[in-house]
Amino acid sequence: MALTALICDDSLLARNQMKKSLPAAFDAEIVTATNGLEALAVLRRQEIGVVFLDLTMPELDGVGVLEAIKAEKMDVFVIVVSADIQPEMQKRVMDLGALAFIQKPVNTDKLSAVMRQYGLI
Amino acid sequence: MTDLSFTEEQRDCLQELINVAMGLASDKLARFLNTFVHLQVPAIGLVNAAEIPEQFRGQYQGLNSSMISLGFFGDGGLRGETILLYQLENAGKIAALLGYDDDATSEAEMLTDISSILTTTFLNGLAEQLDNSFSYAAPRVISSRDNDFISKLEQTAFHWQLALKVDIRYELTDYSFDCNMILLIPGEAVLKLKTILDNVLADF
Repeated sequence: MALTALICDDSLLARNQMKKSLPAAFDAEIVTATNGLEALAVLRRQEIGVVFLDLTMPELDGVGVLEAIKAEKMDVFVIVVSADIQPEMQKRVMDLGALAFIQKPVNTDKLSAVMRQYGLI
Repeated sequence: MTDLSFTEEQRDCLQELINVAMGLASDKLARFLNTFVHLQVPAIGLVNAAEIPEQFRGQYQGLNSSMISLGFFGDGGLRGETILLYQLENAGKIAALLGYDDDATSEAEMLTDISSILTTTFLNGLAEQLDNSFSYAAPRVISSRDNDFISKLEQTAFHWQLALKVDIRYELTDYSFDCNMILLIPGEAVLKLKTILDNVLADF
């Protein structure tokens, strides 16, 4: 069964940019969420291999999603894709268990490198 | 009359570009103030520039505010003016933290410095995503510690058609300061902006 990837971002443009930035070799079904609460609902309902997670979002932000994933011991890779590039924020999400931090707008080479590193492609 | 209003897709596109530009500006600010900035989703409103003073009247009436303006000029007729509007309750604390002297001149100097960091970083980030480049006029302190800034805002807004109002609250680790950023854009530049946004959208 192919992997399912979740793209969570409140912006339609950002979700589309993310989809388009995914390497062609990435064989996955893509589902989307528009805020942290929706993302958690998806994560609790179905098996997700990897989440591409925005941080600054309404309802529940990306840090809240990472905290819930940690608290509920969900088995999922999280790659944070955010415009909030402050070093302290990058450290915070990595401490919460994110695999990688990718700055917006997404650099496709960096994304591919991270995904290769973790065997996603 | 030409339609200056944005479609939902154009608005979403602009909001995301602004988020990215704000991320860059906040990172710069955090480094300058040596603290952490809690970023929130900015409230973005596109309104008739003539309505701006009235909106701020409700929000800021009777409060001391500082207002700093920066004009920008891009390629292809994209241009406008940004106004940063500060609440001054915490200005003294921030000034002390940054080592400015405790007087009104230094406070104005500090606000000009912070404005410069916020607006030029923000606008450079926005320009890059729009595949444009901006040049800037010298920042101008429109009013400082002034209860009558609304009428001054009125005079400034009068020259513009569209106002893109971005409410930003910068929450720092130890204190917060409120700051409104207003992008004022003339009608023909709005049309240019809409075309650029459509091009960005067509790429995705």
